[in-house]
Amino acid sequence: MADGAGESVSSEIGQGITIAKTGETGAFGGELLTINFGPHHPSTHGVLRLIVDLDGEQVRRLKPVIGYLHTGIEKQAEALRWQQVVVVTDRHDYLSPPINNLAYALAVERLLGVDVPPRAEALRVIMSELTRLSSHLVWLGTSGIELGASTMLMYCFRERDTILDMNEEISGFRMHTSYIRPGGVMADATPRFLEMLDRFIAKMPSNIDEYEDLLTMNPIFRSRTIGIGRLPAQDAKVLGATGPMLRGSGVAWDLRRSMPYSGYENYDFEVATSDLCDCYGRYLVRIKEMREAVKILRQALDRLPDGPVNIDDRKVLPPPREELETSMEAVIHHFKLFTEGYTVPPGDVYVAVESGRGENGCYVVSDGTHKPRRVKFRAASFVNLQPLERMAMNHMVADMVAIIGTADAVLGDVDR
Amino acid sequence: MIVDSLIVDRGVSAGDAWITVASENARDALSALKGDGYQLLVFLTCVDHLADRSRDWPARYELVYQLRNLETREQLRVRAFVDGDPPRIDSVSDLFPPANWDERETYDMFGIVFTGHPDLTRILMPDDWVGHPLRRDYPVGGEVVEFSEEHEAWRTAPEKA
Repeated sequence: MADGAGESVSSEIGQGITIAKTGETGAFGGELLTINFGPHHPSTHGVLRLIVDLDGEQVRRLKPVIGYLHTGIEKQAEALRWQQVVVVTDRHDYLSPPINNLAYALAVERLLGVDVPPRAEALRVIMSELTRLSSHLVWLGTSGIELGASTMLMYCFRERDTILDMNEEISGFRMHTSYIRPGGVMADATPRFLEMLDRFIAKMPSNIDEYEDLLTMNPIFRSRTIGIGRLPAQDAKVLGATGPMLRGSGVAWDLRRSMPYSGYENYDFEVATSDLCDCYGRYLVRIKEMREAVKILRQALDRLPDGPVNIDDRKVLPPPREELETSMEAVIHHFKLFTEGYTVPPGDVYVAVESGRGENGCYVVSDGTHKPRRVKFRAASFVNLQPLERMAMNHMVADMVAIIGTADAVLGDVDR
Repeated sequence: MIVDSLIVDRGVSAGDAWITVASENARDALSALKGDGYQLLVFLTCVDHLADRSRDWPARYELVYQLRNLETREQLRVRAFVDGDPPRIDSVSDLFPPANWDERETYDMFGIVFTGHPDLTRILMPDDWVGHPLRRDYPVGGEVVEFSEEHEAWRTAPEKA
């Protein structure tokens, strides 16, 4: 078999890794090889495919190929009625469903021109912060495994399971809660939920200490992350990175603070940043964010206002179940809502919220009918993947795994 | 500075400020706005107004650019309307790097051709896909995908029995 310079010779080795010779000579005198990394590699966090040109073991070029998890969520949203779209918003960034619900609910509420009661706002903040915690816990556990600390997953999933139990208690569903809806939330928090939350908040800071004991000063973890995947602040801004990717580069931009929504301006918390600009910096930011999330949860629980959790508008939300037995009007409202839904005045609106990964926004266009004309999800992961080449350049293949890990892209969010 | 002659229309929708520019001037307008401090392109996308009679649309496709000034935290939406087959507009991926993938997605989903884009290929759909799924005349469901036949067999089985 001829394998002269410039001739592309492909061979299959191992599990779906394709190698092609590029014919270019690298810095060490060898030839650059094009390697197909993924899409079914466990460390790609889903189905991300990277076409990398390797010089020895160093990355010289990198091209992410996405779309393997494309499910047409935006197209489905156009075929559903306004209240049904909530269910598909759960499923794009599948690690932070309530935050996605919140972006969509806020957008629809802006078009309808309604404000939700204070208790609903506080419950939305509680669910958002719990979600941020559970999303960061998944990131921390899986990143730990990739970087040689397999114990992390056990610790992180222990707490994540507590959060999923709380999701189940408040919404009846562990993952795709659909809890936050246009006009309020699905149901009021049960006393048991508030008890569970109280216990969780009391315990969580010591759990985060445990994670830090395992990783922060761990020499293997530090040598695998410090100085790896540098993304200077200017580059992060230009490339549009948001969330821990941007704050890990020292830019204090957090939508909860910069452009507050759902009453976040009333909570006292710090915006976590790190000037390290590398994988370790992004790790520190996420750990700090978990501590801040616990602080916000404590404030939200202590100051949880009384009152209704939904707007009092029968044209948007169904009447309470008990009214159906006595009021004809309630039956009609109920029937109308579940057969044809409600209409939203024509217009368009963009609402952005801070998810665990950055800015998850929702752009909604209404043509005045019962279904949205267009729902566009501005996915943080989609934008945060673009600096990947910049970060992985001239690093080892093994470091690329750490870099993909700290970019924390959820492929469902990337491909929608 | 963006000059007023570039702006065709302006307004506020549900609290969001927007301007409309002619599609041939979109690149100039966005470049001027970048100079005015709108450094971040939050997203760009397209809306298909096929058979939308709620308002009087100048063209079928509406390109939407959401800009943000990170210093003043102001946001501005820029709209440009395009028609034609294929509809064309100038790429802004060199002005705003995040636009690179957004433009590929908009090409993939709506078939808008961004002139001057360095690598305008499909991004979410397979390379050999026919059609642009987010166009309003593209049906939901029913497309033939891998294993469709088996699914069909499974669905009709109870009727035969």
